[in-house]
Amino acid sequence: MKFADFISFKAIRADLAADDKESVISELVQSLLDAGDVNPAEKDDIIAAILKREELGSTGIGRGVAVPHTKHPSVQKLVGTVGVSAHGVDFNSLDGENVQLFFLLVSPPERPGDHLRALENISRQLRDDTFCRFLKQSKTADDIHQLLEEADNNQFAT
Amino acid sequence: MFVIDTILLVTGILLLLGIASSKFSARLGVPVLVLFLALGMLAGSEGIGGIEFENYSLAHGIGTIALGLILFDGGLRTPYRSIRAAWKPAGILATAGVLLTSVVTGLAAAAILGLTNLQGLLLGGIVGSTDAAAVFSVLRSGGVHIRRRVADTLEVESGSNDPMAIFLTVGLIQVLSGEVPLGPALITLFLNQIVLGGVIGLVVGRLAVWVLKNIQLDAAGLYPILATAFGLFAYGFAAAIGGSGFLAVYLAGIVIGNGRPVFHRGILLFHDAAAWLGQILMFIVLGMLSFPSRLLDVAGPGLIIAAVLILVARPLSVFLTISALRFSFREMLFISWVGLKGAVPITLATFPLMQGLESASLIFDVVFFVVLVSAVIQGWTLPAVARYLKLETPAKAEPPVTLEISSLRNVEGDIVDYYVDEDSRAAGRMLKDLALPDGVVVALIVRQDQIIPPQGRSQIEIGDHLIVVLRPGVRPLVDRVFARQEREAECLPEALEFPLRGTIKAGDVERFYDIRLGENPEATLDQMIRSKLGSKGLSVGASIRYEQIVLRVRGLTPTGSIEYVGMMILPLPKEQPVGEETKSALGGPKPEAS
Repeated sequence: MKFADFISFKAIRADLAADDKESVISELVQSLLDAGDVNPAEKDDIIAAILKREELGSTGIGRGVAVPHTKHPSVQKLVGTVGVSAHGVDFNSLDGENVQLFFLLVSPPERPGDHLRALENISRQLRDDTFCRFLKQSKTADDIHQLLEEADNNQFAT
Repeated sequence: MFVIDTILLVTGILLLLGIASSKFSARLGVPVLVLFLALGMLAGSEGIGGIEFENYSLAHGIGTIALGLILFDGGLRTPYRSIRAAWKPAGILATAGVLLTSVVTGLAAAAILGLTNLQGLLLGGIVGSTDAAAVFSVLRSGGVHIRRRVADTLEVESGSNDPMAIFLTVGLIQVLSGEVPLGPALITLFLNQIVLGGVIGLVVGRLAVWVLKNIQLDAAGLYPILATAFGLFAYGFAAAIGGSGFLAVYLAGIVIGNGRPVFHRGILLFHDAAAWLGQILMFIVLGMLSFPSRLLDVAGPGLIIAAVLILVARPLSVFLTISALRFSFREMLFISWVGLKGAVPITLATFPLMQGLESASLIFDVVFFVVLVSAVIQGWTLPAVARYLKLETPAKAEPPVTLEISSLRNVEGDIVDYYVDEDSRAAGRMLKDLALPDGVVVALIVRQDQIIPPQGRSQIEIGDHLIVVLRPGVRPLVDRVFARQEREAECLPEALEFPLRGTIKAGDVERFYDIRLGENPEATLDQMIRSKLGSKGLSVGASIRYEQIVLRVRGLTPTGSIEYVGMMILPLPKEQPVGEETKSALGGPKPEAS
């Protein structure tokens, strides 16, 4: 599965303003809402579902990266966005580092395989230090978009 | 003895020596082109061969043909993916980068050698371009593994920067000989080179793909020749109407190579050979053309100019032109270091000689010396520099392919011979248990001198050859099936696991990710892993592999219960359900029962 299959390019944010866990999740969900990928009425419910997943263990996977994700019946297909925070946000990561790079995913309950595939793709691509570093350094949504395309074309880890 | 008999004898001997020297290349780490050049110098009038050769127009002719073939071959092997990823940085480097390098080097050369500024710039233009033959040979066969975007950038740059260098050289020669005034006429010359060369390359390439797919030749051997013919045609046509022949032949090669023509593999093999022949002949001829004694005369200023070029001009132009395009500092240092010079400058340096320009022979000697320094120092140290800058990526495990056969007619299919060695994932498994994707047929198993008709129950043994028919698209998946085993689960960094608390229930994880762990859903991860590993096996780092995920113990509390578990998601190809694998392995025509 490629980034282009599930990342909503219009929702990418290179300038996240939030400075705590809950508000950064809210900001990312709002970006999906602005891009028309989720229903405004479901916003709070989606945020609650993501926070519920965080209770199983933080999705801050270390190295300044977090991949908050959840299943939610309001979406028809897997949607996701990418956000970069210049100053970093405390996300209760196990390594204690602040998170600068976020991948947020919302998947429909009836497409179980996609969810796992997308997570696998993200964690495989992030294994490439260069990719990870360039994403964190991105200043515009276009930069991020381009990096994701390059990753899709196997320019980074394969 | 006719003259041609002697020429053939000498050519044969030189080719044999050239091929023999390529065997040393790998052992010594010296780029082959240096050895070929050295061989040419040894064979030349001042070496032990004593061959008198000072025919600049013949050398220019051989250089042009060889370079055309090398660029055509390089184009054939460049997938669109590389172009898409690298056209921006490569395009800027190939134009503005070359110009900047040339100007800086040229002005320095003028000052050092006491030439006029225009003569200096001519020298700068001649050595301004990165050599495709050298870069291809170092990056593709030199064992340097770097990030693909960097490699693509360097390859596409070196393949497409010759028009700029040729333009600078031809333009300045025309200005120096008074044919064209400095000014707008030069711009027209430049645009003609790029636009005409580009358009003709693309059009001829398209035409060639169509012809190759539809002509239905009876003799397979004619297909590669047909491709070559189109390459030569693209060069000649473009050059005849004032475009860049080198750009045209490179682009035509790219279009043909990506068009999957009939007998693709044959075409590639033929041009690989042609490019090698071109490299050996070209460098040997250029070596013979030089006079080592005259090189020594220019050694002092030559070294300084080479130093300016390598240490100042190239890095300056790289950093100024592509620093906005997301390369890391180390990568830009590396790209600067791969400003390898090769045959193009030497071939270009024969232009002023043929025109009888003032100081032409000084320019030729200095250019030759600079190329030699660049090829030896940069070419030799490239792998070490890549390592030093920590840019090397591990080489991918090569699938053990020994033979690729392609259908003569235009069929979307390849026949591939996989060799099963002891590390192969396929070794010791039954055919039906291989995770072969749909549309793949194992046609034959060859064991020593026996042929075994494949069946689902056939066991694959070490040393077997499997002849597999497949669609080109699924090739990477099949390669993985036969590739050497990696120990992925153990060597992954823990940072890419999703941490889960030990106290959560197995059922929660199953529900959340729609996976089956086959355990009591009410058990906590701690209990589940503890019962699997036993109290002895329970330690940080111990892991259990499930169908789609691996769970690894990440941390224990002081009382010994599992605090955190890392969940890693396994990549796709291994996860296909067994039922489907069985079907697809035998999905094609049934092998005859024996």
